[in-house]
Amino acid sequence: MDKNYKLLAVFILLALVQIFIPAKMIIDSEDVLNTGVEYKFKTAPVDPTDPFRGKYITLRYKDNSVEVENKSDWLSGEEVYVVLNLNKDGFAIPKYISKEAPQYKTDYFKAKLSYVNSDISNRVRIIYPFNRYYMEENKAKKAEEIYRKSQSNKKHVAYALVNIKNGEAVLKDVLIEGVSIKDLVEKETID
Amino acid sequence: MSLLKDIQELVKQDLISDNQAEDIRTYYQKKNSQSGNCLFTIFGVLGAILVGLGIILIVAHNWDELSRLTKTIFAFIPLITGQVLCGFALIKKRENQTWKEGSSAFLFFAVGASISLVSQIYHIQGELSSFLFTWILLCLPLIYVMKSSINSLFCIIGITTYACELAYWNHPESSAYLYWLLILAILPHYYHLYKNRPESNFMVFHNWLLALSMVICLGTLSDKHGEFMFIAYFSLFACLYLLGNVRFFSQQKLLNNAYKFLGTLGTIILLLVLSFDWFWEDLRNKPYLFKEIIVSPEFMASTILTVLAVVILLLQQKNKKLLSVKPISLIFILFIYAFLTGLSSSISVLLINLYVFVIGILTIREGARKDHLGILNFGLLIITALVTCRFFDENLSFVIRGILFVSVGVGFFVTNFVMLKKRKNG
Repeated sequence: MDKNYKLLAVFILLALVQIFIPAKMIIDSEDVLNTGVEYKFKTAPVDPTDPFRGKYITLRYKDNSVEVENKSDWLSGEEVYVVLNLNKDGFAIPKYISKEAPQYKTDYFKAKLSYVNSDISNRVRIIYPFNRYYMEENKAKKAEEIYRKSQSNKKHVAYALVNIKNGEAVLKDVLIEGVSIKDLVEKETID
Repeated sequence: MSLLKDIQELVKQDLISDNQAEDIRTYYQKKNSQSGNCLFTIFGVLGAILVGLGIILIVAHNWDELSRLTKTIFAFIPLITGQVLCGFALIKKRENQTWKEGSSAFLFFAVGASISLVSQIYHIQGELSSFLFTWILLCLPLIYVMKSSINSLFCIIGITTYACELAYWNHPESSAYLYWLLILAILPHYYHLYKNRPESNFMVFHNWLLALSMVICLGTLSDKHGEFMFIAYFSLFACLYLLGNVRFFSQQKLLNNAYKFLGTLGTIILLLVLSFDWFWEDLRNKPYLFKEIIVSPEFMASTILTVLAVVILLLQQKNKKLLSVKPISLIFILFIYAFLTGLSSSISVLLINLYVFVIGILTIREGARKDHLGILNFGLLIITALVTCRFFDENLSFVIRGILFVSVGVGFFVTNFVMLKKRKNG
């Protein structure tokens, strides 16, 4: 009997952890969305599916590289902290990267480095941790089309709205010419 | 039904007593109910897997009409349902394996579904490997809490996918050392299964999945000196083969003896791959720094596995004649010799061809001695594979290749014919 109670206690503990992990993901994301600083990241041209999480559109970012002093200090796939700056149009660009979180108050997020190649430039590419925008199954294809069309039209500005706080980044929306891609899909479906 | 009628008739004819008749009836009743239980477990688990997978697919639709809050609540419904079912099984159906396996299979998928849904709602990109890792870590304790073998199987599949994702499919690749710790965490359950239900299907599935998983994931340790992984792989296959020769496994059907099956097949395939010169040419031409090699993961893996294989081999050969040793179980040592020679000389490729040839001949001899057509033809198959590989070798002339093929073909006819004739006469 005693053994069964112990087993049950372990099970209850496990069940709580199983609830805690997704709950923590939600709380952290909500916190960044509600109190984080909003940044606009200009996107560049690219309907993949994730077997578990469904359809999404892949976002590529225009300003995804940063200058470093010595390329050999950096490894492919290394986790880095990206400190942000704004360009003249108000879009976010990486200011610099560091191996440790900045100690002073600034906006930054964790990301991974892409392949660090050995060409002569002093720039390394960053893989942004917010390059998937999940959509409803039958809307993802349409959204992908709209997104691609907007990318071929140079006048159209497409960007991702991302909230940033304490090294974490949460993708809020993808906008084309200031209109949410979800609304654009809806409008096009009605038309 | 006919059996019950027969029993009545046997009693009437005074061939068996009433007591014996009762014993026979009870025996068959018990036997039937056991196989019924097994079927219940299979269908229970299958049902739970299908429902669980269905939920993941429904979740993957990503319902836009629902608000973030509603979606978030939905993320927890399958999880809580699974937990309630498992809790119920733990409290009320403690002795019912079907309930325990079914509910924990469902909970396994529910955990995956809820993490997926949250990632989807918040566009959390996260890599597939870290998603799998969290999922497995949250479900691994279920193996012990619920004593669930199906969860253990799912975890082995999950861990293997995690290691492959990290080390083979992901770019840039990273190492998956945690895989070994996670596999270690499953072994106590495997041992429990071996002690308590050695004849069960779950045991057979575990044999296969564990062996396959290790064969697949050993390569994740490969870094800059991939050539040395061949030593590690030969030693792993030797360990598997020797394990398959332990009495518990060797008494089973070959298809249930995953270790022997994979150990044999793996060794032969590797030898065939290395019977071409391209590998050896690379080995000779590449400069190696001893200092670099001895600290490489490939070297460590090779050393550990080789020592392990030697220990198992010595334990198995204790009190046995030297000649009783199976040729395949020695290949890992002979390969090390060929490998070291191959660093500077081109003779290794010949050695490997010789190894395959000798294994083939010895297997044929064993088949003939045991009067076993399966073993005999397996030996012939090994020789055929070797000859087929040489067919693609441009260094050999057409005539020699032709003669080789004809002689193996004749060998097939003659050996099978002689054996069948011997049987007829015997």
